[in-house]
Amino acid sequence: MTVQAFFIGFFGLAAVWFGIVVFRTFSMMRSALALLFSQTALGAMFLSMQAEFLGVLQIMMMATEMSIMAIFMVMFMMDPGGLGEMEMTHQKRLSLIAGFVSFVGAVAVAVFVDWGPVASTFPDATQQTVELGLELLDRSMLIFETAGITILTAMIAATAVAIEPEKKSVTDEP
Amino acid sequence: MNTFIIVFLLLLGAYFVAVLEVWISKGRFQLAAPLFAAIAFLGRESFIPRKPDQLFYEVGPVLLLLSAVLAAAVIPLTPDLIMTDLATGALFINAALVYVLVALLMAGWGPDGAYAMIGGWRFLGQLIAYAMLIVMPITAVVMRAESLLSTQIVISQAGLWNIVYQPLGFILFFIASMALAFLPPFDLMIAKGELASGVEAEYSGMRLAIFRLGRLVLIITLASANVIFYLGGWQGPELFGYSLPPWAWSAIKILAVTMVMLFAGHYMPRIREAHLLSWCWMFGIPLALINIFIVGVLLLEFP
Repeated sequence: MTVQAFFIGFFGLAAVWFGIVVFRTFSMMRSALALLFSQTALGAMFLSMQAEFLGVLQIMMMATEMSIMAIFMVMFMMDPGGLGEMEMTHQKRLSLIAGFVSFVGAVAVAVFVDWGPVASTFPDATQQTVELGLELLDRSMLIFETAGITILTAMIAATAVAIEPEKKSVTDEP
Repeated sequence: MNTFIIVFLLLLGAYFVAVLEVWISKGRFQLAAPLFAAIAFLGRESFIPRKPDQLFYEVGPVLLLLSAVLAAAVIPLTPDLIMTDLATGALFINAALVYVLVALLMAGWGPDGAYAMIGGWRFLGQLIAYAMLIVMPITAVVMRAESLLSTQIVISQAGLWNIVYQPLGFILFFIASMALAFLPPFDLMIAKGELASGVEAEYSGMRLAIFRLGRLVLIITLASANVIFYLGGWQGPELFGYSLPPWAWSAIKILAVTMVMLFAGHYMPRIREAHLLSWCWMFGIPLALINIFIVGVLLLEFP
Protein backbone atom coordinates (compact mmCIF):
# COMPACT_ATOMS: atom_id res chain seq x y z
CA MET A 1 0.00 0.00 0.00
CA THR A 2 2.76 2.44 0.94
CA VAL A 3 4.77 1.45 -2.14
CA GLN A 4 1.70 2.05 -4.25
CA ALA A 5 1.07 5.44 -2.62
CA PHE A 6 4.72 6.36 -3.18
CA PHE A 7 4.54 5.60 -6.89
CA ILE A 8 1.23 7.41 -7.32
CA GLY A 9 2.74 10.45 -5.65
CA PHE A 10 5.97 10.17 -7.64
CA PHE A 11 4.26 9.99 -11.02
CA GLY A 12 1.83 12.71 -9.96
CA LEU A 13 4.70 15.06 -9.17
CA ALA A 14 6.43 14.06 -12.42
CA ALA A 15 3.25 14.92 -14.34
CA VAL A 16 3.08 18.34 -12.66
CA TRP A 17 6.79 18.98 -13.28
CA PHE A 18 6.61 18.14 -16.98
CA GLY A 19 3.50 20.30 -17.16
CA ILE A 20 5.59 23.20 -15.87
CA VAL A 21 8.40 22.38 -18.32
CA VAL A 22 5.92 22.86 -21.19
CA PHE A 23 5.95 26.59 -20.53
CA ARG A 24 9.58 26.92 -19.52
CA THR A 25 11.15 25.88 -22.83
CA PHE A 26 11.42 28.05 -25.92
CA SER A 27 10.87 25.30 -28.44
CA MET A 28 7.60 23.88 -29.64
CA MET A 29 9.09 20.43 -30.06
CA ARG A 30 10.39 20.30 -26.47
CA SER A 31 7.16 21.77 -25.25
CA ALA A 32 5.08 19.14 -27.06
CA LEU A 33 7.24 16.26 -25.83
CA ALA A 34 7.18 17.64 -22.27
CA LEU A 35 3.40 17.56 -22.48
CA LEU A 36 3.67 13.98 -23.76
CA PHE A 37 5.80 12.97 -20.77
CA SER A 38 3.36 14.70 -18.45
CA GLN A 39 0.52 12.66 -19.92
CA THR A 40 2.61 9.48 -19.87
CA ALA A 41 3.22 10.08 -16.17
CA LEU A 42 -0.57 10.24 -15.74
CA GLY A 43 -0.78 6.88 -17.53
CA ALA A 44 1.84 5.54 -15.14
CA MET A 45 -0.36 6.79 -12.27
CA PHE A 46 -3.23 4.73 -13.66
CA LEU A 47 -0.90 1.73 -13.78
CA SER A 48 0.14 2.31 -10.16
CA MET A 49 -3.54 2.36 -9.26
CA GLN A 50 -3.82 -1.04 -10.98
CA ALA A 51 -6.12 0.27 -13.71
CA GLU A 52 -4.17 -1.53 -16.42
CA PHE A 53 -6.35 -0.86 -19.45
CA LEU A 54 -6.73 2.86 -18.73
CA GLY A 55 -3.00 3.21 -18.09
CA VAL A 56 -1.91 1.48 -21.29
CA LEU A 57 -4.56 3.35 -23.29
CA GLN A 58 -3.43 6.70 -21.91
CA ILE A 59 0.23 5.95 -22.64
CA MET A 60 -0.63 4.83 -26.19
CA MET A 61 -3.03 7.61 -27.18
CA MET A 62 -0.94 10.47 -25.83
CA ALA A 63 2.20 9.52 -27.79
CA THR A 64 0.32 9.81 -31.09
CA GLU A 65 -1.73 12.81 -30.10
CA MET A 66 1.11 14.90 -28.74
CA SER A 67 3.34 14.15 -31.75
CA ILE A 68 0.56 15.14 -34.11
CA MET A 69 -0.05 18.23 -32.01
CA ALA A 70 3.64 19.04 -32.38
CA ILE A 71 3.49 18.93 -36.16
CA PHE A 72 0.30 21.01 -36.22
CA MET A 73 1.96 23.64 -34.02
CA VAL A 74 5.05 23.66 -36.18
CA MET A 75 2.96 23.93 -39.35
CA PHE A 76 0.64 26.70 -38.23
CA MET A 77 3.13 28.82 -36.28
CA MET A 78 5.90 30.38 -38.32
CA ASP A 79 8.61 28.07 -37.04
CA PRO A 80 10.20 25.99 -39.83
CA GLY A 81 10.78 22.47 -38.57
CA GLY A 82 10.38 23.56 -34.96
CA LEU A 83 14.05 24.57 -34.86
CA GLY A 84 13.40 28.23 -34.06
CA GLU A 85 12.95 29.72 -30.62
CA MET A 86 9.58 30.90 -29.50
CA GLU A 87 7.96 32.16 -26.34
CA MET A 88 5.52 29.53 -25.12
CA THR A 89 3.33 31.84 -23.02
CA HIS A 90 1.01 34.72 -23.72
CA GLN A 91 -1.51 36.77 -21.70
CA LYS A 92 0.65 36.01 -18.69
CA ARG A 93 -1.33 37.72 -15.94
CA LEU A 94 -4.64 36.19 -17.05
CA SER A 95 -3.13 32.70 -17.45
CA LEU A 96 -1.43 32.89 -14.06
CA ILE A 97 -4.68 33.80 -12.36
CA ALA A 98 -6.67 31.20 -14.33
CA GLY A 99 -4.07 28.51 -13.60
CA PHE A 100 -3.98 29.33 -9.89
CA VAL A 101 -7.78 29.40 -9.55
CA SER A 102 -8.22 26.06 -11.34
CA PHE A 103 -5.40 24.52 -9.26
CA VAL A 104 -7.08 25.61 -6.02
CA GLY A 105 -10.42 24.41 -7.36
CA ALA A 106 -9.02 20.98 -8.27
CA VAL A 107 -7.32 20.60 -4.90
CA ALA A 108 -10.51 21.68 -3.12
CA VAL A 109 -12.52 19.07 -5.02
CA ALA A 110 -9.93 16.39 -4.21
CA VAL A 111 -9.87 17.26 -0.50
CA PHE A 112 -13.43 18.20 0.34
CA VAL A 113 -15.47 15.72 -1.70
CA ASP A 114 -16.59 12.66 0.23
CA TRP A 115 -15.19 9.87 -1.93
CA GLY A 116 -16.70 7.10 0.21
CA PRO A 117 -14.78 4.21 1.74
CA VAL A 118 -11.58 3.00 0.08
CA ALA A 119 -12.27 -0.11 -1.98
CA SER A 120 -10.66 -3.13 -0.38
CA THR A 121 -11.15 -5.50 -3.30
CA PHE A 122 -11.01 -4.79 -7.01
CA PRO A 123 -11.54 -6.94 -10.10
CA ASP A 124 -8.47 -8.29 -11.93
CA ALA A 125 -7.25 -6.70 -15.14
CA THR A 126 -9.23 -8.96 -17.49
CA GLN A 127 -12.46 -8.33 -15.62
CA GLN A 128 -11.74 -4.59 -15.54
CA THR A 129 -11.44 -4.56 -19.34
CA VAL A 130 -14.77 -6.38 -19.69
CA GLU A 131 -16.55 -4.03 -17.30
CA LEU A 132 -15.04 -0.97 -18.94
CA GLY A 133 -16.26 -2.18 -22.33
CA LEU A 134 -19.78 -2.75 -21.03
CA GLU A 135 -19.78 0.68 -19.41
CA LEU A 136 -18.58 2.41 -22.58
CA LEU A 137 -21.12 0.73 -24.82
CA ASP A 138 -24.00 0.99 -22.39
CA ARG A 139 -24.57 3.90 -20.04
CA SER A 140 -21.80 6.21 -21.24
CA MET A 141 -22.13 5.52 -24.96
CA LEU A 142 -24.04 8.70 -25.78
CA ILE A 143 -21.54 10.87 -23.89
CA PHE A 144 -18.53 9.36 -25.61
CA GLU A 145 -20.08 9.44 -29.06
CA THR A 146 -21.06 13.09 -28.60
CA ALA A 147 -17.58 13.99 -27.38
CA GLY A 148 -15.96 12.09 -30.24
CA ILE A 149 -18.04 13.76 -32.93
CA THR A 150 -17.50 17.18 -31.34
CA ILE A 151 -13.72 16.74 -31.32
CA LEU A 152 -13.74 15.51 -34.94
CA THR A 153 -15.83 18.49 -36.03
CA ALA A 154 -13.54 20.89 -34.20
CA MET A 155 -10.46 19.37 -35.84
CA ILE A 156 -11.91 19.54 -39.35
CA ALA A 157 -13.16 23.08 -38.74
CA ALA A 158 -9.80 24.24 -37.39
CA THR A 159 -7.98 22.83 -40.41
CA ALA A 160 -10.51 24.28 -42.83
CA VAL A 161 -10.23 27.72 -41.24
CA ALA A 162 -6.44 27.60 -41.41
CA ILE A 163 -6.25 26.78 -45.12
CA GLU A 164 -5.87 29.79 -47.32
CA PRO A 165 -8.66 29.87 -49.92
CA GLU A 166 -7.46 29.35 -53.47
CA LYS A 167 -7.19 32.57 -55.37
CA LYS A 168 -8.74 32.87 -58.80
CA SER A 169 -6.25 32.78 -61.61
CA VAL A 170 -5.23 36.24 -62.76
CA THR A 171 -3.25 35.21 -65.82
CA ASP A 172 -5.90 36.21 -68.37
CA GLU A 173 -6.00 39.80 -67.11
CA PRO A 174 -3.89 42.27 -69.06
CA MET B 1 14.19 -16.61 -17.04
CA ASN B 2 11.74 -16.19 -19.91
CA THR B 3 12.83 -12.59 -20.23
CA PHE B 4 16.46 -13.60 -20.77
CA ILE B 5 15.52 -16.26 -23.32
CA ILE B 6 13.32 -13.86 -25.30
CA VAL B 7 15.88 -11.04 -25.27
CA PHE B 8 18.49 -13.54 -26.47
CA LEU B 9 16.14 -14.75 -29.21
CA LEU B 10 15.41 -11.16 -30.24
CA LEU B 11 19.14 -10.50 -30.61
CA LEU B 12 19.50 -13.71 -32.60
CA GLY B 13 16.57 -12.68 -34.77
CA ALA B 14 18.07 -9.22 -35.28
CA TYR B 15 21.33 -10.85 -36.38
CA PHE B 16 19.40 -13.01 -38.81
CA VAL B 17 17.57 -9.99 -40.23
CA ALA B 18 20.88 -8.18 -40.72
CA VAL B 19 22.35 -11.12 -42.66
CA LEU B 20 19.19 -11.55 -44.67
CA GLU B 21 18.88 -7.88 -45.54
CA VAL B 22 22.34 -7.79 -47.08
CA TRP B 23 21.67 -11.07 -48.85
CA ILE B 24 18.44 -9.83 -50.42
CA SER B 25 19.49 -6.30 -51.26
CA LYS B 26 23.11 -6.88 -52.32
CA GLY B 27 23.13 -10.59 -53.18
CA ARG B 28 25.94 -11.40 -50.77
CA PHE B 29 25.39 -14.06 -48.11
CA GLN B 30 27.88 -13.23 -45.36
CA LEU B 31 27.18 -14.85 -42.02
CA ALA B 32 29.84 -12.97 -40.08
CA ALA B 33 29.32 -9.54 -41.65
CA PRO B 34 26.97 -8.10 -38.97
CA LEU B 35 29.42 -9.14 -36.26
CA PHE B 36 32.31 -7.35 -37.93
CA ALA B 37 30.12 -4.34 -38.67
CA ALA B 38 29.11 -4.17 -35.00
CA ILE B 39 32.73 -4.35 -33.83
CA ALA B 40 33.65 -1.67 -36.34
CA PHE B 41 30.82 0.55 -35.10
CA LEU B 42 31.96 0.22 -31.51
CA GLY B 43 35.53 1.05 -32.46
CA ARG B 44 34.65 4.13 -34.46
CA GLU B 45 34.50 7.62 -33.09
CA SER B 46 31.02 8.81 -32.24
CA PHE B 47 30.72 12.32 -33.64
CA ILE B 48 28.42 14.71 -31.85
CA PRO B 49 26.79 17.51 -33.82
CA ARG B 50 27.57 21.09 -32.90
CA LYS B 51 24.42 22.11 -31.09
CA PRO B 52 22.32 19.04 -30.29
CA ASP B 53 19.44 18.84 -27.87
CA GLN B 54 21.51 16.59 -25.62
CA LEU B 55 18.56 14.75 -24.08
CA PHE B 56 16.68 14.02 -27.30
CA TYR B 57 19.85 13.15 -29.18
CA GLU B 58 20.95 10.55 -26.64
CA VAL B 59 17.50 9.16 -25.83
CA GLY B 60 16.31 8.69 -29.44
CA PRO B 61 18.20 5.48 -30.39
CA VAL B 62 17.77 3.95 -26.93
CA LEU B 63 14.03 4.62 -26.97
CA LEU B 64 13.75 2.97 -30.39
CA LEU B 65 15.41 -0.19 -29.07
CA LEU B 66 13.40 -0.06 -25.85
CA SER B 67 10.02 0.25 -27.53
CA ALA B 68 10.79 -2.65 -29.87
CA VAL B 69 11.80 -4.85 -26.92
CA LEU B 70 8.78 -3.77 -24.86
CA ALA B 71 6.44 -4.65 -27.73
CA ALA B 72 8.04 -8.08 -27.85
CA ALA B 73 7.32 -8.54 -24.14
CA VAL B 74 3.72 -9.60 -24.77
CA ILE B 75 4.42 -11.81 -27.80
CA PRO B 76 4.16 -15.53 -26.98
CA LEU B 77 6.61 -17.78 -28.83
CA THR B 78 5.23 -20.94 -27.23
CA PRO B 79 2.31 -21.29 -24.76
CA ASP B 80 4.75 -20.67 -21.88
CA LEU B 81 7.54 -18.67 -23.47
CA ILE B 82 6.32 -15.11 -23.00
CA MET B 83 7.78 -12.32 -20.91
CA THR B 84 4.49 -11.19 -19.43
CA ASP B 85 0.99 -12.19 -20.49
CA LEU B 86 -0.72 -8.86 -19.86
CA ALA B 87 -4.50 -8.70 -19.73
CA THR B 88 -4.20 -5.83 -22.24
CA GLY B 89 -1.61 -7.52 -24.48
CA ALA B 90 -2.95 -6.50 -27.89
CA LEU B 91 -3.28 -2.90 -26.73
CA PHE B 92 0.13 -2.95 -25.09
CA ILE B 93 1.86 -3.87 -28.37
CA ASN B 94 0.34 -0.75 -29.88
CA ALA B 95 1.31 1.41 -26.93
CA ALA B 96 4.92 0.26 -27.10
CA LEU B 97 5.17 0.63 -30.87
CA VAL B 98 3.85 4.18 -30.87
CA TYR B 99 7.04 5.18 -29.07
CA VAL B 100 8.96 4.24 -32.23
CA LEU B 101 7.55 7.47 -33.58
CA VAL B 102 8.60 9.43 -30.50
CA ALA B 103 12.08 7.93 -30.77
CA LEU B 104 12.43 8.89 -34.44
CA LEU B 105 11.11 12.39 -33.80
CA MET B 106 13.65 12.81 -30.99
CA ALA B 107 16.48 11.35 -33.05
CA GLY B 108 15.48 13.52 -36.01
CA TRP B 109 14.94 16.78 -34.20
CA GLY B 110 17.59 16.39 -31.53
CA PRO B 111 20.82 16.79 -33.58
CA ASP B 112 19.71 20.20 -34.91
CA GLY B 113 20.37 19.21 -38.51
CA ALA B 114 18.13 19.78 -41.51
CA TYR B 115 18.33 16.31 -43.07
CA ALA B 116 17.66 14.44 -39.85
CA MET B 117 14.84 16.75 -38.92
CA ILE B 118 13.05 16.32 -42.26
CA GLY B 119 13.48 12.56 -41.87
CA GLY B 120 11.86 12.67 -38.44
CA TRP B 121 8.89 14.72 -39.61
CA ARG B 122 8.50 12.41 -42.61
CA PHE B 123 8.05 9.52 -40.24
CA LEU B 124 5.35 11.46 -38.45
CA GLY B 125 3.57 11.90 -41.78
CA GLN B 126 3.94 8.18 -42.32
CA LEU B 127 2.50 7.46 -38.86
CA ILE B 128 -0.64 9.43 -39.66
CA ALA B 129 -0.98 7.11 -42.66
CA TYR B 130 -0.31 3.72 -41.09
CA ALA B 131 -1.46 4.17 -37.46
CA MET B 132 -5.12 3.40 -38.14
CA LEU B 133 -4.15 0.34 -40.20
CA ILE B 134 -2.31 -1.06 -37.20
CA VAL B 135 -5.12 -0.45 -34.72
CA MET B 136 -8.19 -1.37 -36.79
CA PRO B 137 -7.05 -4.83 -38.01
CA ILE B 138 -5.98 -5.65 -34.43
CA THR B 139 -9.49 -4.67 -33.33
CA ALA B 140 -10.95 -7.26 -35.69
CA VAL B 141 -8.48 -9.89 -34.41
CA VAL B 142 -9.41 -9.09 -30.81
CA MET B 143 -13.12 -9.31 -31.70
CA ARG B 144 -12.64 -12.89 -32.79
CA ALA B 145 -10.53 -13.84 -29.76
CA GLU B 146 -12.89 -11.97 -27.39
CA SER B 147 -9.82 -11.15 -25.36
CA LEU B 148 -6.86 -8.80 -25.39
CA LEU B 149 -4.55 -11.52 -24.06
CA SER B 150 -2.05 -12.34 -26.78
CA THR B 151 -2.00 -16.03 -25.83
CA GLN B 152 -5.79 -16.09 -26.10
CA ILE B 153 -5.54 -14.51 -29.56
CA VAL B 154 -3.29 -17.35 -30.70
CA ILE B 155 -5.55 -20.01 -29.17
CA SER B 156 -8.60 -18.48 -30.90
CA GLN B 157 -6.99 -19.42 -34.24
CA ALA B 158 -6.77 -23.13 -33.42
CA GLY B 159 -9.49 -24.06 -35.92
CA LEU B 160 -8.76 -21.54 -38.64
CA TRP B 161 -5.92 -19.06 -38.87
CA ASN B 162 -6.85 -15.41 -39.07
CA ILE B 163 -5.11 -15.05 -42.43
CA VAL B 164 -7.96 -17.15 -43.85
CA TYR B 165 -10.66 -15.79 -41.57
CA GLN B 166 -9.85 -12.13 -42.23
CA PRO B 167 -7.43 -11.89 -45.19
CA LEU B 168 -8.23 -8.23 -45.73
CA GLY B 169 -7.09 -7.39 -42.21
CA PHE B 170 -3.87 -9.33 -42.72
CA ILE B 171 -2.95 -7.48 -45.91
CA LEU B 172 -3.57 -4.10 -44.29
CA PHE B 173 -1.72 -5.01 -41.10
CA PHE B 174 1.20 -6.42 -43.06
CA ILE B 175 1.60 -3.23 -45.11
CA ALA B 176 1.17 -1.06 -42.03
CA SER B 177 3.75 -3.03 -40.08
CA MET B 178 6.24 -2.60 -42.93
CA ALA B 179 5.61 1.14 -42.78
CA LEU B 180 6.02 1.09 -39.00
CA ALA B 181 9.37 -0.66 -39.28
CA PHE B 182 10.38 1.86 -41.98
CA LEU B 183 11.36 -1.01 -44.23
CA PRO B 184 11.65 -0.39 -47.96
CA PRO B 185 9.55 0.81 -49.78
CA PHE B 186 8.60 3.00 -46.81
CA ASP B 187 12.15 3.88 -45.79
CA LEU B 188 12.31 7.47 -46.98
CA MET B 189 13.35 8.68 -43.53
CA ILE B 190 16.56 6.66 -43.29
CA ALA B 191 17.30 5.62 -46.87
CA LYS B 192 20.87 6.14 -48.06
CA GLY B 193 19.94 7.85 -51.30
CA GLU B 194 17.47 10.18 -49.62
CA LEU B 195 18.47 13.19 -47.53
CA ALA B 196 21.90 11.64 -46.82
CA SER B 197 20.30 8.92 -44.64
CA GLY B 198 17.80 11.25 -42.96
CA VAL B 199 17.40 10.44 -39.29
CA GLU B 200 20.61 8.42 -39.27
CA ALA B 201 22.61 11.27 -40.83
CA GLU B 202 23.90 12.82 -37.61
CA TYR B 203 24.57 9.56 -35.78
CA SER B 204 27.82 7.64 -35.87
CA GLY B 205 29.72 5.01 -33.94
CA MET B 206 28.06 3.50 -30.88
CA ARG B 207 24.89 5.57 -31.14
CA LEU B 208 24.32 4.55 -34.76
CA ALA B 209 24.92 0.93 -33.75
CA ILE B 210 22.15 1.18 -31.15
CA PHE B 211 19.84 2.83 -33.67
CA ARG B 212 20.46 0.09 -36.25
CA LEU B 213 20.03 -2.62 -33.62
CA GLY B 214 16.75 -1.03 -32.56
CA ARG B 215 15.56 -1.10 -36.15
CA LEU B 216 16.48 -4.78 -36.59
CA VAL B 217 14.74 -5.75 -33.33
CA LEU B 218 11.72 -3.75 -34.45
CA ILE B 219 11.54 -5.72 -37.71
CA ILE B 220 11.66 -9.06 -35.92
CA THR B 221 9.10 -7.87 -33.35
CA LEU B 222 6.69 -6.82 -36.06
CA ALA B 223 7.15 -10.09 -37.92
CA SER B 224 6.29 -11.90 -34.67
CA ALA B 225 3.24 -9.67 -34.20
CA ASN B 226 2.08 -10.66 -37.71
CA VAL B 227 2.56 -14.30 -36.77
CA ILE B 228 0.59 -14.22 -33.52
CA PHE B 229 -2.22 -12.09 -34.90
CA TYR B 230 -2.74 -13.79 -38.25
CA LEU B 231 -0.67 -16.94 -38.71
CA GLY B 232 -1.71 -18.98 -35.68
CA GLY B 233 1.36 -18.30 -33.57
CA TRP B 234 2.96 -21.47 -32.27
CA GLN B 235 0.30 -23.75 -33.76
CA GLY B 236 0.97 -25.81 -36.87
CA PRO B 237 -0.77 -28.47 -38.92
CA GLU B 238 -0.22 -32.14 -38.08
CA LEU B 239 1.10 -34.50 -40.71
CA PHE B 240 0.44 -38.22 -40.10
CA GLY B 241 -0.21 -37.45 -36.45
CA TYR B 242 3.16 -35.82 -36.06
CA SER B 243 3.82 -32.11 -35.70
CA LEU B 244 6.81 -29.92 -35.02
CA PRO B 245 7.21 -28.52 -31.49
CA PRO B 246 5.63 -25.08 -30.86
CA TRP B 247 8.92 -23.16 -30.77
CA ALA B 248 9.86 -24.52 -34.19
CA TRP B 249 6.57 -23.37 -35.70
CA SER B 250 7.05 -19.90 -34.20
CA ALA B 251 10.60 -19.71 -35.52
CA ILE B 252 9.71 -20.90 -39.03
CA LYS B 253 6.77 -18.52 -39.34
CA ILE B 254 8.58 -15.49 -37.96
CA LEU B 255 11.55 -16.05 -40.26
CA ALA B 256 9.25 -16.58 -43.24
CA VAL B 257 7.33 -13.37 -42.56
CA THR B 258 10.59 -11.46 -42.18
CA MET B 259 11.82 -12.80 -45.51
CA VAL B 260 8.59 -11.87 -47.27
CA MET B 261 8.79 -8.37 -45.80
CA LEU B 262 12.36 -7.87 -46.99
CA PHE B 263 11.68 -9.39 -50.42
CA ALA B 264 8.55 -7.32 -50.96
CA GLY B 265 10.45 -4.17 -50.13
CA HIS B 266 13.31 -5.01 -52.45
CA TYR B 267 11.11 -5.18 -55.54
CA MET B 268 9.10 -2.01 -54.94
CA PRO B 269 9.89 1.62 -55.68
CA ARG B 270 9.99 3.90 -52.64
CA ILE B 271 6.64 5.38 -51.73
CA ARG B 272 6.45 9.02 -50.70
CA GLU B 273 4.69 9.59 -47.41
CA ALA B 274 2.21 11.95 -49.10
CA HIS B 275 1.16 9.19 -51.49
CA LEU B 276 1.01 6.70 -48.65
CA LEU B 277 -1.17 9.14 -46.72
CA SER B 278 -3.69 9.54 -49.50
CA TRP B 279 -3.74 5.80 -50.21
CA CYS B 280 -4.23 4.89 -46.57
CA TRP B 281 -6.97 7.41 -45.90
CA MET B 282 -8.88 6.91 -49.14
CA PHE B 283 -8.64 3.11 -49.37
CA GLY B 284 -6.91 1.65 -46.36
CA ILE B 285 -9.15 2.95 -43.60
CA PRO B 286 -12.44 2.20 -45.42
CA LEU B 287 -11.13 -1.31 -46.12
CA ALA B 288 -10.19 -1.72 -42.46
CA LEU B 289 -13.70 -0.68 -41.45
CA ILE B 290 -15.17 -3.13 -43.96
CA ASN B 291 -12.91 -5.79 -42.46
CA ILE B 292 -14.25 -5.07 -38.96
CA PHE B 293 -17.81 -5.21 -40.33
CA ILE B 294 -17.23 -8.53 -42.13
CA VAL B 295 -15.63 -10.09 -39.06
CA GLY B 296 -18.52 -8.83 -36.95
CA VAL B 297 -21.07 -10.42 -39.28
CA LEU B 298 -19.08 -13.68 -39.42
CA LEU B 299 -18.86 -13.79 -35.62
CA LEU B 300 -22.57 -13.19 -35.16
CA GLU B 301 -23.80 -15.47 -37.96
CA PHE B 302 -21.32 -18.38 -37.74
CA PRO B 303 -20.12 -18.49 -34.15
